[in-house]
Order: sequence, then C-alpha cells, then structure tokens
Amino acid sequence: MGERGRGCCPPMDLMRSEPMQLVQLIIPIESAHLAVSYLGDLGLIQFKDLNAEKSPFQRTYAIQIKRCGEMARKLRFFRDQMSKAGLPPAARSVTQDTSLDDLEVKLGDLEAELVEINANGEKLQRSYNELAEYKLVLHKAGEFFHSALSSAEAHQREQASNQTGEESLETPLLSEQETAIDSSKQVRLGFITGLVPRDKSMAFERILFRATRGNVFLKQATVDEPVIDPASGEKVEKNVFAVFFSGERAKNKILKICEAFGANRYSFHEDLGKQAQMITEVSGRLSELKTTIDAGLVHRGNLLQTIGEQFEQWNFLVRKEKAIYHTLNMLSIDVTKKCLVAEGWSPVFATKQIQDALHRATQDSNSQVDAIFQVLHTREMPPTYFRTNKFTSAYQEIVDAYGVAKYQEANPGVFTIVTFPFLFAVMFGDWGHGICLLLATSYFIIREKKLSSQKLGDIMDMTFGGRYVIMLMSLFSIYTGLIYNEFFSVPFELFAPSAYVCRDPACRDATTVGLIKARDTYPFGVDPAWHGSRSELPFLNSLKMKMSILLGVAQMNLGIIMSYFNAQFFKNSVNTWFQFIPQMIFLNSLFGYLSVLIIIKWCTGSKADLYHVMIYMFLSPTDELGENQLFAGQKMTQVEQSVDGEILFSPYSILIISDETLVLLLLALVSVPWMLLPKPFILKMQHNRHQGESYAPLPDTEESLQSGANNDSHGHEEFEFSEVFVHQLIHTIEFVLGAVSNTASYLRLWALSLAHSELSTVFYEKVLLLAWGYNNVIILIVGIIIFIFATVGVLLVMETLSAFLHALRLHWVEFQNKFYEGDGYKFYPFTFTLLDNEEE
Amino acid sequence: MGFLVTTLIFVVVGIIASLCARICCNRGPSANLLHLTLIITATVCCWMMWAIVYLSQMNPLIVPILNESE
Repeated sequence: MGERGRGCCPPMDLMRSEPMQLVQLIIPIESAHLAVSYLGDLGLIQFKDLNAEKSPFQRTYAIQIKRCGEMARKLRFFRDQMSKAGLPPAARSVTQDTSLDDLEVKLGDLEAELVEINANGEKLQRSYNELAEYKLVLHKAGEFFHSALSSAEAHQREQASNQTGEESLETPLLSEQETAIDSSKQVRLGFITGLVPRDKSMAFERILFRATRGNVFLKQATVDEPVIDPASGEKVEKNVFAVFFSGERAKNKILKICEAFGANRYSFHEDLGKQAQMITEVSGRLSELKTTIDAGLVHRGNLLQTIGEQFEQWNFLVRKEKAIYHTLNMLSIDVTKKCLVAEGWSPVFATKQIQDALHRATQDSNSQVDAIFQVLHTREMPPTYFRTNKFTSAYQEIVDAYGVAKYQEANPGVFTIVTFPFLFAVMFGDWGHGICLLLATSYFIIREKKLSSQKLGDIMDMTFGGRYVIMLMSLFSIYTGLIYNEFFSVPFELFAPSAYVCRDPACRDATTVGLIKARDTYPFGVDPAWHGSRSELPFLNSLKMKMSILLGVAQMNLGIIMSYFNAQFFKNSVNTWFQFIPQMIFLNSLFGYLSVLIIIKWCTGSKADLYHVMIYMFLSPTDELGENQLFAGQKMTQVEQSVDGEILFSPYSILIISDETLVLLLLALVSVPWMLLPKPFILKMQHNRHQGESYAPLPDTEESLQSGANNDSHGHEEFEFSEVFVHQLIHTIEFVLGAVSNTASYLRLWALSLAHSELSTVFYEKVLLLAWGYNNVIILIVGIIIFIFATVGVLLVMETLSAFLHALRLHWVEFQNKFYEGDGYKFYPFTFTLLDNEEE
Repeated sequence: MGFLVTTLIFVVVGIIASLCARICCNRGPSANLLHLTLIITATVCCWMMWAIVYLSQMNPLIVPILNESE
C-alpha cells in the first residue's frame, strides 16, 4: 500500500494486517496436484471456493475424496484395533515417499488380513470359552450327581436297614409303595445342565418353577470366578445348574426358558466313566485351543506392531491427500479441461514464494506449461492476517475472541500485550502470589517443547496456550505487589524505613490521633505503616479509587488516539475532525479535568471534595464560587464544603479556575453536536460529488480499493442519509454515555484489588496467625495446610480467573469501543501444519 | 529520593530496556518498532502506578492510626 512506510517510522509489526492481494493461479491439470501440495506446505494462500454452487458429488475429484475417506476409515479401524491391543502408534518417523495408490492397496491387504485374523481368533475364542464352560459344568454337575448318588445310597442303606428291622408304628405306610413307584418312574426323569448368569439365577429359578408348576427340581452351584461368556466375550459371574424334570413338554418349556435367560446348556452323561472320559477330552482340546489362540494373538500383535510403526505417517499422508483433493475441488476447471483456475487471498510478501512453489511443481511433474500467477484487482474486503509468534499469538487470540480486525485496521493487540497483564496485576497485586503464578507458568514455558507435542486436558490446554500471557501477568503482579507492599498480605520495609513515626517517645497518641509523617515519603509503593492500622482502608480505598480513574482515563485516551491513527491511515479526515477531536475534548474536559484535579489535590494536600466539584460543575457551573466561597476558601474550617479550586490554588487564581470549569463544560457541551451533526452532512456532500464524477475517468484501482475498504457509506451502494444520520446519532450517544459509564467501570480495578488484599489478609490472619497462636504443632500444621489450600484455591485460581475476566472486559469494552470495528474476517491459509491437531 | 529522581530512574530503565531489546533481538525495523512500543507502554504503565502511589502519600490528609490491640 502506498502510504506504508512513507511516514516517519517503518510499519509496525502486528499493528495492521499484512497487505493482502487476490491472486489467480492457472495451473495445468497434470501439475495441479503437486502444485497444491507445495502450496499447502507453504501455507500462505487461502483458496476461494469457485464451485460453491456444486454439491460435493458433482465436483471433479469426488471419487478421490471418497477413496481417501475409505482409507481414513481403514486407518481408524487400525487405530481401534491398536488401542484395544494396547499398542500406541509410534511417533512419526522419517517420511518415505509412498504413493497414494500403493498405500491404498497396502491398507486394503492389511485390513483384509486383520479382519480374517480377528474372525478366526473370535471363532477360536468362542469355542474355547464354550469348552471352558463345559468343563465347569462337567465338574460341578459331576459333584451334584456324586453327592446325590452317595446320599441316595445312604438313604437306601438306611431304608434297607429300616425294612429289615421291626415294623414300628412310625414307619410310614406308603413308603414302600413310594419307593416302588419311584423306581418305576426314575427312568423317565430327564435333566438339563448348563450355566446361567448369577444375577438372573433367582428369576430363572422362579420362572422354571412357575412354568412347570413346581414339577422340576433345580440344583445350582456357584462358580467362584467369573466366566467368559462365549456369546458376548465378557466376564460374567455364573451359576452351574442342573434341572430335573419329567416329560417332553416340560423339557421344551425348560429349553425355551434357558434360551430366554441366556443360559448355555451342555450335555452331560450320568455315567461316571463317560464323565471322566469327557473331562479328559475337553481338557485336551482346551489346551490345544489355547496354543492355537496364543499363536494367533502373537501373529496379530506382530501385524499391529508393523502397522503401528507407520500408522502416523500413513494417517498424515491420507489426511494430506484428502486436503489436497478437497482444495482441488474448489478450483474451477477450464473449458478445455487442460487447466485448473484457482483464486485466493495471499499476503503480498508471499508472492515470490508462491511463484517458486508453482515453478517447482511444474518442473517436478514434468509439465510442458508453466503455471500462471496473476494479481486480481477487487473491491472485496481482504481477510485480516497478523503474523504472530508463540509469544504474541495468545494476546492476538484475546482480541480475536471479541472480533477479528477489519482489514488493515489498527490492532488493539499491540497494546493489549502490555496493558492486559498490567490491568490484571492492578487487581492482583501481591508479589507472593505473583511469584507462585510465575513458578507455575515457568514450568509450562520450560517444558514447552515436550508439552506442545502431547495432548492435554481442556483446562490444561488453555493454561498452556496462555502461558506467555500468564507470565507477563505474574511479572506485573510482582511489580504491583511491591507497589501495594503486600507479600501474602504482609508488608515489608524493603526500600526505606517507614515515613511515619510516633508523635512522642511514649507513643500514647498512636491509637487515637495517629502517627505523624516525619521522614521523606516512602520511596516505592505503599508505606508499610498503613498495614493493619485503623485508617488503612480509608486510605487505600481513596488511593485505589483515584488510581482506577487515572488509569482508566489514560487507557481511554489511548483508545481515542488509536482512532486518530486509523483515520490517518485510511486518509479519512472527516473522522479526524468530526470524531477524534470532539471525542478527545469531551472526554478530557470532564474526566481529564477530574484526573488533573486528583493530581493537584495530591500535590497540594488540599482537602477539597472532588465529588462536590464534579457534581456542581454540572448543577451550577455559573454559580460563582462567589464571595463567601472565596472567603470560605481562606477559612480552613469550612474547607470540607467548599467547591472547586479555592484550596487547590491561592485565592487569587480562583476566578481563573472557575472560568476554566465553565469553559470546560461549554467545550464538552459543544463537542456533542460537533460529533453528531457535521459528519453525516459531509458524507452526503461527498456522495453527491461522487455521483457527479461518475462519468469522469476511473480512479486508480488501488485507491478505489482503499476507499471501498475504509468507508462503506460512499461506495456504489445507495446513500441513505437517514441511515447514516441515525448511525451517527447512536454512535454519539454511545460515546457520551459511555464516557461516564466506562470511567465508572474502571472502578472495578479498585474493587477487585480491594477484594484480593482483604481476602489474603483474612487467610493470613484468621488461619495462619490463629494457628500459630495455639503453640501446638498439630494445629499449626493443619493451619498451614488450610492456608495453602485457601491461597491456591481461592486466591491463585479463582481470583486469577476473576481478575482475568475483568481485565478482559476492560479491554473489550472500555478500550476497544473507542476505535475498534472488529468486523473483518480471518485469513485461513491452506496448510498442512494444522492437519495433525485436527479431530476426526 | 524525590519524585523527579525516581522518574528519571524509570526513564533510564526504559531506555536501557529498549536498547537491550534493540541489541538482543534485532529482527528488522518493523519488529524493533513493536518491541519499542511494548517497552515504552510497559514503562509508562509501571511509572504511572508508582507515581500515583507516591503522589498520594506526599501530603497525607490522614495518617495511620494504630489499632488499640497492638
């Protein structure tokens, strides 16, 4: 841009967006892929979508994108398998050149192999689990039958002995018949054995009982260790059961119930010999299967290992290819189908690099024709691009979170780098806490390389991203802590002895009248004598309140001055004369004046009431600090009620001061219509002149780009006077009201800093000193622990957050609304460096 | 130490810091200007903070009144 560097200084980094240009690339189709790949490596061009009207399926490279998607799916499958097997993918090694086609074939083969191994493995595992269950059933059911058999034998023996003995009265009459019937029916009793999940076993038993109306006998035994269920492959606690029943219908019912309960049935022989045979057979097959499965697992592990070694590389390659084809899809294809036409934004400084990349692509792909690079002229607003580094990027993000700067607008980020941590520190002034913060953030900064490569949690990630912000915040907190003279709320006499001493050697008046200032003012920060005194709060409140106003007025003035630089840059003299100047006058005639009064009051030690001055400045500006007031000014007794400057200056200058008040008030009143009225009319005039010039020779394109960018009201659009006027009206009202409310808003600096120092005093005195007073080690240790937790949790974490938020607000609202439009859009270059971090 | 002397110290520290930035990380005129701006802003902020606290204590209207318990 013409005016860059023309002034006294070189253009400042980060102050304004890099100059951008709209470029057109015409790339022969055979070198297009390589060209886009090189441009992605370069990462300095943002492609425009020239096929916005086409659906994803109608685009030129839809098939390739589908292939990439399929490969990405396979890679995801591998990643799942690897994470299941507990194999993390190795870090990306040296990139070998693999073509996409080779990779596709390779991935296909690997996937097929892995799927087959998995299927086989699953089948084997299933049969292994079934056999394991079977073995359990054989054991447990064998025990049932064994115990049943022995008890039956015992019973029979008993019966036999009973029968041989005399028939007593107690002998049941039917017992003989029963046994006879039993023996005849015994043959027909069937049984089913199997395993049922333990949590279902009660329900299972109940349902069995109801379904067969009690005509079953169920015997269960718990299996101590959880069993792997063959169907689901999960470990389940199970019971072995054996159901005895009679009749075919009961059997069918039971089978159905078993199925419904997921109870696996296994056949079982009553014959002991056969049982033993089965057990050995099953054990043999189990061990056989075990070795097979182990071999399979080893094979699978090896396969996954080899995949894991190259996984990241493949993953990157696939993502890169996908990104390339995605970009190629945004290019429009020439009618002759021989070249692709790309349009995009790029910074002006990158022109040479882009041309080089295109040239290299042409050479490497042995193309006959070179790609064409040309700059297009446009009225469109270019994207905003700040070249940030790891230090400045976090601050820039703070600004961008509010709104991305309009193209080439002055960037508040420059001053935010210092003023943001500074205002934070004003609210967080304690050098002990500052050192704690500094230690925490230096951990992040020292281990930066290691931490940036690994994934952190949400909160950790945010803290890590803002590590340089926190660093400056903590440094400034240490500074302001020294100024406030607070180290975990304890003051130190670091720079000089306190200026205050007792009035007499006995120090009798110290608690009633107070100390007296005998030495020079404490040279750096708040005098330690204030700490813990009864007048500490009145003094600190007055100090911090006034400090908030002074800092606020300074920062708001800085904001308005920035608007001057913007007007200068965009050669908008209307904004300079009818916005910047009246705004400066308005703010400074009211709050600048207040600041001056504050300083004069401090310098002279006057007791004038500044509230009164400010209020009566509006209520009765002409109401003379009349005769009696002048008189009162000389009388120090009535000083409290006196208005304005009487005591600030000698009585002779009073008239000048009161005149000044009037002049300032008038200036403030004049500057309001000054802000409101001329600008819309001048814009209208300018518009009319432009209309008249419409047949004149076309203006220089560069200039028209500028004027298009800096003022949308006089473009080719319709000029609506009422709209412009209303806009200006809103702007004026916002500024006038804002001047008051924003100044008041800076008082949050006082409030937060007060809260911080009071809280830390409470923790120090009510926890640490109280515990110390007990003279008991245990109470002291408990006190120290509570103190540490309270300090870290409340002061270091919560107070940091709240001070951060308030500093953020002061920047976003009070500072930036003075000049920042923030309606631009960000430059998102096509680059491969971000691919790694992308979530799928 | 009076107000002016300490102010002078701030000025000197600011100049030294900007010279250091100029010598230690000289990355072209644009970056140097940014560094200079940052250092000036930081110095002015720190100076303002100090000056406000110093001025407010120069002519005290109220004096520390000790707590009776002490």
